[in-house]
Amino acid sequence: MLLTLFLLGLLYVVFIGVLIAAGAGVVTIVVVMGALSAAQLFFSDKLALSAMGAKQVSPEEAPGLHAMIERLCIQADLPKPKIAVADTSMPNAFALGRSQKSATVCATTGIMSVLSPSELEGVMAHELAHVKHRDVLIMTIASFFASLAAIMLQFGFFFGGDDDENPSILVVLLVSALVYVLSFFLMMALSRYREFAADRGAAIVTGRPSALSAALVKISGAMQTVPQHDLREAERLNAFFIVPASVKGSIKTIFSTHPPMEKRIERLQQLESSLQRGAIAA
Amino acid sequence: MGFLDAIFGSKGRLKGPAEDRLFAMSTAWVTLDTSLGLTHKGKAGIVFQPLATADFQSILDETEELLAGTAAETGSKVTNKEDEFGYRWLVLEDSDFEDLVVALNTVSVQLQGGGYGDRLLAAVFAFEEKGKPVYFIYNFKRGAFYPFVPAPGEQARDNERELRIKAQLGAELPFEEDIGRWFPLWDVPL
Repeated sequence: MLLTLFLLGLLYVVFIGVLIAAGAGVVTIVVVMGALSAAQLFFSDKLALSAMGAKQVSPEEAPGLHAMIERLCIQADLPKPKIAVADTSMPNAFALGRSQKSATVCATTGIMSVLSPSELEGVMAHELAHVKHRDVLIMTIASFFASLAAIMLQFGFFFGGDDDENPSILVVLLVSALVYVLSFFLMMALSRYREFAADRGAAIVTGRPSALSAALVKISGAMQTVPQHDLREAERLNAFFIVPASVKGSIKTIFSTHPPMEKRIERLQQLESSLQRGAIAA
Repeated sequence: MGFLDAIFGSKGRLKGPAEDRLFAMSTAWVTLDTSLGLTHKGKAGIVFQPLATADFQSILDETEELLAGTAAETGSKVTNKEDEFGYRWLVLEDSDFEDLVVALNTVSVQLQGGGYGDRLLAAVFAFEEKGKPVYFIYNFKRGAFYPFVPAPGEQARDNERELRIKAQLGAELPFEEDIGRWFPLWDVPL
């Protein structure tokens, strides 16, 4: 993990150096991208919630869900997030928000009907672990650089080509393409790592790793029967879902935001056995 | 939470209990009784997450034996309940309030001694004001109390009364200052 982060950081340092060498207009672009990224950080949760058709629910509307999350918050020492419910049969849950105080956790009506209370508790603890680890903030920062590279790439295509034979444009194009590809894979790796961390956090908070395993098995089974239409709608939100809403096949491990189900369950089982040995609580 | 924790995620451990301030209740209840007109119902409970492990179960058995032993001396009653969220309650009944505090402390010390202090959720003391229930909830992780006054109706609470209790009691009890952490516990079995 340290290596991934190091490589990521190194890439951006090199990349920014090259950009500065390439010309002054770049500074403006960086500023604009920074503003866009900040806007994304501040408004994306509302956009994502409305994209999912999720509504915030009061304790009166969803008493069980509120009480369950309140208890998890006491255990995880977190302030209570806003709680939302999306009315869709697709069984899923996600966490949003740039900080622990402004976080929202959302469950679909599908996941609440499919899972048993202890399984649902495991899933909500996983989402709260994302909140605790500030994953939204970190993934937004990571994706800032990736999208910066993508924009530069387009910029190069649209304005660079036919005006003159300036070689620095070519350099910018090449470098940004390279950065984009590499940062994409590194971001996916970062996301997968953080999924494991959230699984682990959930298992520790609930003390029931096997309940989360059972939930993952149930959800993944149900996911395959979901029609394609719903899945595409949900595609943009994938990084913060408990199970990604895609059924594209299995040779995509390094393209994936989530680790494969078997790996997650394997790690949860390791946690369960160390819990049984008393190795976690001690 | 430090910068490295933010980058790498959790330390792989729950936050343990804060410095123990449970005993603050053993003096504060007198003020509650004499100045605020809140009489204790002779009931208190402690709620925690039971782990499905042999080690945890043996510590729990040991704790319950210990409680039963002191209960025989003090004349208190101990009952064991599981709630709908899968949490375990040990409920104590004793007309002597101090015995209740001591008994709850026994449970917390036992679990902490076994390395399971992080599984403690809360201790709850039941009071009464003109026939209406008033609870004091102690959050072990934060080492602080807060009042919880259920109001008539589904999942309703009387925030006004809760805030007034805090103002009236002042420094007598270590209160949770962040009102956002005054988590309710519905259907308290007390």
